[in-house]
Amino acid sequence: MGPCPVVGQWQGSGLSLGLYGALPSGGQWQGSGLSLGLHGALPGGGAMAGIGALSGNKPDNTAFTQQRLPAWQPLLSAGTALPLFFCAGLACLALGLGLHFSSATIRELELDYTGAPGSGHNCSRCANASRAGAAGCTCSLRFELPERFPGPVCLYYQLANYYQNHRRYSVSRDDRQLSGVASGLSNPATECSPFRTDPRGIPIAPCGAIANSLFNDTFALYHLANGTFYPVPLDNRGISWWTDSNIKFSNPELINGSLEAAFRGTTKPPNWPHAAYMLDMGNLNNTGFINEDFIVWMRTAALPTFRKLYRRVREGNFSSGLPQGTYRLDITYNYPVLSFQGTKKVIFSTVSWMGGKNPFLGIVYLIFGSACILTGFVMLAVHIKFQKQNQMDVE
Amino acid sequence: MQFPHLYEPGQQNLYFNKIEFVKCVLHGIYSSLILFFIPYGAMYDTVRSDGKAIADYQSFALMAQTCLLIVVSVQIGLDTAYWTAVNQFFIWGSLSVYFAIIFTMYSDGMYLIFTASFPFIGTARNTLSQPNVWLVIFLSIILCVLPVVGGRFLKSQLMPTISDKVLRKIRAAKKQPPPPLPKIRLRRTSTRRSGYAFSHQHGFGALIMSGRNMRPKLPFTTTGMFSPNSEKNKHK
Repeated sequence: MGPCPVVGQWQGSGLSLGLYGALPSGGQWQGSGLSLGLHGALPGGGAMAGIGALSGNKPDNTAFTQQRLPAWQPLLSAGTALPLFFCAGLACLALGLGLHFSSATIRELELDYTGAPGSGHNCSRCANASRAGAAGCTCSLRFELPERFPGPVCLYYQLANYYQNHRRYSVSRDDRQLSGVASGLSNPATECSPFRTDPRGIPIAPCGAIANSLFNDTFALYHLANGTFYPVPLDNRGISWWTDSNIKFSNPELINGSLEAAFRGTTKPPNWPHAAYMLDMGNLNNTGFINEDFIVWMRTAALPTFRKLYRRVREGNFSSGLPQGTYRLDITYNYPVLSFQGTKKVIFSTVSWMGGKNPFLGIVYLIFGSACILTGFVMLAVHIKFQKQNQMDVE
Repeated sequence: MQFPHLYEPGQQNLYFNKIEFVKCVLHGIYSSLILFFIPYGAMYDTVRSDGKAIADYQSFALMAQTCLLIVVSVQIGLDTAYWTAVNQFFIWGSLSVYFAIIFTMYSDGMYLIFTASFPFIGTARNTLSQPNVWLVIFLSIILCVLPVVGGRFLKSQLMPTISDKVLRKIRAAKKQPPPPLPKIRLRRTSTRRSGYAFSHQHGFGALIMSGRNMRPKLPFTTTGMFSPNSEKNKHK
């Protein structure tokens, strides 16, 4: 068919057909729509267009401009859809089983220590005291570990009904200040207000509501052996992301080798008992802005019920895990949650390749895999039953 | 113009009317629910394989966004009925550009230069290295796309549109070898039903009697070797 001058007109009609073909059910029709256009070129109109087109407006005769590019036209037929469904179903079933068993092997123990009034809990006394504003109350929990937890065991604290994803709360931080820039200490970001400066006008370091609400309960674990309680060593290293503690957060430049001097001219957040450089006095690598508990807290959670890593049990006698038996957890109850109906829990958990215990993914995969295979059979039945009718339509 | 009735659905406004719009809206609602609640359920109270946080705001946002982009690309691929090189480039290209952009935006360098603007540093590396996250992405893809595939297949079987039927016809025709075109015979073609012309010359007797120059015909017809009118029988 050569470089016909009628091509200009045909392209127009081909495009308008293609527009209809852009919608879901018309997708299959698009291919035939273009081929229809080839046959549908109007000779009468072509003659008129030919006179104008010969003047130099002819499009190039390349495969791209003439819509002759080699193309793959997949069609949804029984030969593609049915194997797809069966394969997807089998894959989902296999994944679901793997995930389900993987989640089932993870051991987890939850201890609620909110101490809500009327629960008769050991820590209710402390909860009332914290509601009144006092701090430093201690309470103890005795619990039994039903089976051995293979190491390393992670200790988490879980807060519920705590909206760290609240918009005003989640923007109330200054990342420049936390990355150690000196001007961030003297001039915190305006998003931090009302925790930007104290009433005297001295800038707060670290500023913002997230930093101000730092979780400050502490835990100590003891294992009962031969009638006495032996302390279980808790490791506080490596609980935050490497990128957080090494790049995102860094202390301001030391002045004369002293971090306290670097923080001169700033004050602590209102709810903190001590300033930032006193978070871990014994360890210069874990104090100030690079304190790992602080970094873990600053990584705001997405959901109102969240858990954050507190410590790991992987040292000393307990490097292979926590043996079965009786334990005692000593809690310093500082953090008040009863005013917003929040709850606090301590969680002991092992981890695996898929993370913590979460049966959701395995169950959804299993359900969907079976639904997929069932649908595959239904489609097969429909296809066989309607095959004859469709053959007749073809003829 | 082989199939003129393919123009009818367009004229009857069958491809974009209120019902089609409502179907699109329902599909959108379903996809949105899947794209939020599957990551939500998978991230609820979960941690990384080394125990560190994965249920934080930035990781959740990245996971939902990655699910969304991949599902949208797969859906576009499903709707693309005519895959030219241009289509391949843009669809695969947009996915690659997305990953390139997030790894660039969440890199150390960008954070150190523009600290306040790129607070998501490290999120891509730490989240997308978890097999859990990729399983969530795979699940949301198949949950969003397979119902569409199944629905279209069932629709094409139970209520085939005219274009479905036409395409089936074309494909069925392609599978069979093309039927031989009926040849229009010119009058001059000799049919050579009998060897009469040869009988005037000697030397052709054996050829004629062998019947090789006769057109093969069904037995027991009015002409041909075994019919009463054939040469063989005429002599008797």
